[in-house]
Amino acid sequence: MICLALLCGCGEKTAPPPSDKVYRHAMDQATVNLDPASAATIYSTFVVNNLYDTLFMYKYLQRPYELKPNLALAMPEVSNDGLTYTIRLRPQVHFIDSEVFADGKGREVTAADVAYSLQRHFDPKTQSQGAWLWQGRIRGLDQWAADGADYAQSVAGLEVVDEYTLKIHLTRPYPQLTYTLANAFSAVVPQEAVDYFGPEFSRNPVGSGPFKLESFDTSKAVLVVNTRFRKLAVDLEAEGYNPAMHDGSGVAAIEGRTPPFIDRLEFHFVPESSARWAAFRRGELDFTLAPNEVLDLALESTSPPELAADLKADFHMRVAIEPAVLFNVFNMDHAGFGRGADPAQAQRQHALRCAIIAGFDWQAHNERFYYGLGEVFPGVIPPDVAEFDPEMSTASIERDVDKAKRLLADNGWNDQTLPTLQFGVPSSVTQRNIFEQFRSFMMDIGYPRDKIVLKQYATFGDLNRAWKRSELPLVNKGWGLDYPDAENLLQLFYGPNRTPGSNDGNYQDDQYDQWYEQASVMQPGPQRTELYRRMNQQLVDDCAAITGLSRTQVLMWNRRAIAYPDRAMVGGHYLRYVDIVDPSDS
Amino acid sequence: MIGFLLRRGVGALSLMVGVTLLSFCLLVYFGPDQTYSLLGKNPSAEQIAALRLQLGLDSGFFERYWHFIGQLFSLDLGYSWSSGERVVPLLLRSASVSLALLLPGFILGHLLALALAMVAARFQGAWPDRLISTVSMAGMSISTVVVIIALQAWLSSSGQTWFPVRGFSADSLGEYLRHVAMPTLALMLVSIGYHVRIYRAVLCREVNQDYVRTARAYGAGTLAIMFRHVLPNSLLPIITRVLFSIPVLLVSGSLLLEAYFGVPGIGKVSFDAITNGDQPVLLAVVTLSGVALVLIQMFADALYRLADPRLRPGG
Repeated sequence: MICLALLCGCGEKTAPPPSDKVYRHAMDQATVNLDPASAATIYSTFVVNNLYDTLFMYKYLQRPYELKPNLALAMPEVSNDGLTYTIRLRPQVHFIDSEVFADGKGREVTAADVAYSLQRHFDPKTQSQGAWLWQGRIRGLDQWAADGADYAQSVAGLEVVDEYTLKIHLTRPYPQLTYTLANAFSAVVPQEAVDYFGPEFSRNPVGSGPFKLESFDTSKAVLVVNTRFRKLAVDLEAEGYNPAMHDGSGVAAIEGRTPPFIDRLEFHFVPESSARWAAFRRGELDFTLAPNEVLDLALESTSPPELAADLKADFHMRVAIEPAVLFNVFNMDHAGFGRGADPAQAQRQHALRCAIIAGFDWQAHNERFYYGLGEVFPGVIPPDVAEFDPEMSTASIERDVDKAKRLLADNGWNDQTLPTLQFGVPSSVTQRNIFEQFRSFMMDIGYPRDKIVLKQYATFGDLNRAWKRSELPLVNKGWGLDYPDAENLLQLFYGPNRTPGSNDGNYQDDQYDQWYEQASVMQPGPQRTELYRRMNQQLVDDCAAITGLSRTQVLMWNRRAIAYPDRAMVGGHYLRYVDIVDPSDS
Repeated sequence: MIGFLLRRGVGALSLMVGVTLLSFCLLVYFGPDQTYSLLGKNPSAEQIAALRLQLGLDSGFFERYWHFIGQLFSLDLGYSWSSGERVVPLLLRSASVSLALLLPGFILGHLLALALAMVAARFQGAWPDRLISTVSMAGMSISTVVVIIALQAWLSSSGQTWFPVRGFSADSLGEYLRHVAMPTLALMLVSIGYHVRIYRAVLCREVNQDYVRTARAYGAGTLAIMFRHVLPNSLLPIITRVLFSIPVLLVSGSLLLEAYFGVPGIGKVSFDAITNGDQPVLLAVVTLSGVALVLIQMFADALYRLADPRLRPGG
């Protein structure tokens, strides 16, 4: 009886009608906040992009990634000086019906909503995690925030020309602006909802996306179709359809049809990989990233990756390089490993950093922690970014223990003089293993065991604080690309971004900064690519970081789903194109 | 009894002040820091300062503590820093889910353990006792994670369709039972061994008392001796064991069960608050655990008096 009484308090009924097309998407982490201003992770992005509209989105199938209009009617018109972007909106796009509107009916989305949605990132009350994308970029926006973030005051850089036209005036050219307007941070929200719900807007989304929220808790988010979503037929050719690449997935079947095709979209948050895999195998989940622990069962071979024979009948698989970089950046402010106080010390410490890099075994690291599927590359520009240089020397990622020992000996480093290296990690078994492997690499080059010290932090937040306070000599982290442009990675070494900014290694070099400033206002082209590559090479020459690796994701999905999943730039936008072959299998 | 409860209540009040002060102190000085996570990838020093001010992290310790006490008395514990949800509804919602998940296993686990312990005590030293003790010891030795993973692997590969591998639903009684069956089984498998060991020890001590021998000499039957004499006289430690399991059930839930079976209970909420540095939620959870323990202690004292006449005034 007690249990029955408790059941009444467990919320609304959630089971879908049997005829509904339900797609169950597993994620290896949860999202707890559905405010676009907090959509800092791929997990939030996936949910937010299905509840809200962004002006632009990535084409479903096109690789390398390419943008297309979404809420915008067309790609932006950019002035010759690159300082003004004119964006026209689709008419007759409506927010979902909600109590926040005067008559309960969702009103039309206008250019003023887009301006508001960007503006609120700069309102301290929003606690935005995405404001940095536009910081110092849009005329008058930072000043508006400094003056008290009064929405009655207009911002010169966000000019609402008419209901459907917005002009964005920039302080300097920002070629990546259009990319940022495809990011979930830029999703368009109505001010009424933010004002009405206050902090709980994060759990009460009111968007104009293809789905609307039905329920949300720590284990799953359930979305149902937004019946008022605009009707636009799929043009597969425009989406980048390539029969050679996409035929097996069955996506040809959606040509000419109007998305979304499913009635219900469920995001299941399942960090425990064994539970995720068991539920996926059983058919309770339609999509998962294959956990590392089961790769030997899931794959027949890793090179090239091929699905195990017993899984082929039920599941699709594809592998994709994650648009993210894992690296270890030296803290240049650190007395032992940094740039050094005088030229002689600078040279010795440069040699020490280079020796550590030469001693690091990327292949072994890749094999041990990424099943050998990761992509190791020199510098910080990964292979899936257009500016990657395939001709770049790979010497910095090839282990050379003799060279490392020689560098140490030639520069007077020995057991007594080598500085202690504190290796900071969040508390977890895998991170501990990563430390142990790093220590073994360093012992091979002659580093005393007791001088490679583990510093464990209870949470990632605590470790992040240590990085931001410049307390550790080495910042071992990953950076997920916010847009497919190497600028997003190169800014990690730009001097003015030093801690607590994104330049956690406090790298500072006048020449580098000059190149960065020059490139950051340039449109894509050979000249800019050349500058990017020069910067990348300089980071390698300066031994600024042990880098780098991009993980390879093994994406698996049930054959009853017609889909070509992407867990990167497309950021969940593709889920509107997913269809279910046989709903009775749900 | 009312006077007794009032006296204990006054004592509990000072204990609660101590609990809140200590937990607040621990969280303020040693708790996780979410400031940098809340600000995204590229914060400036000014933004960090502004956020700390906004969250009240720069206020003095006692100012913050009094604010927190005020929140406690008004039953408005503010908003979660991570999710933006009001803390009190969040905890109520997730605690009710945890209870619905764990209560069947909790009740069945204790009842079954008691029954097994009575059998073991009755046949102390004989094969039923040895068998029960050995199986209990084995149950205690197996990790909860192993039990859950094994159950889920079996569900995934067995082809049966009655019970889902994970998930939770309260749409109907049937759905509820379907979803709660496996977590209940897992909970019983991992907890029953501990309960049996404790209850057996208590009951064995009792069956060796003189009054049991006397009862046997008078010709009383085994069941009558066990249920009418041994069990009532063993109630104090049993009450303690059962009651002090409740705060854990209420506040921390069962993190592993919730995480692996995908149940949005309070264990998961507490764990996320710890890892995310969500101080409002964490403070509420820690304080409520303390309050629950104090209340349970009072309740246990009252039950002891009912169960044992010697503890009553003049007893």
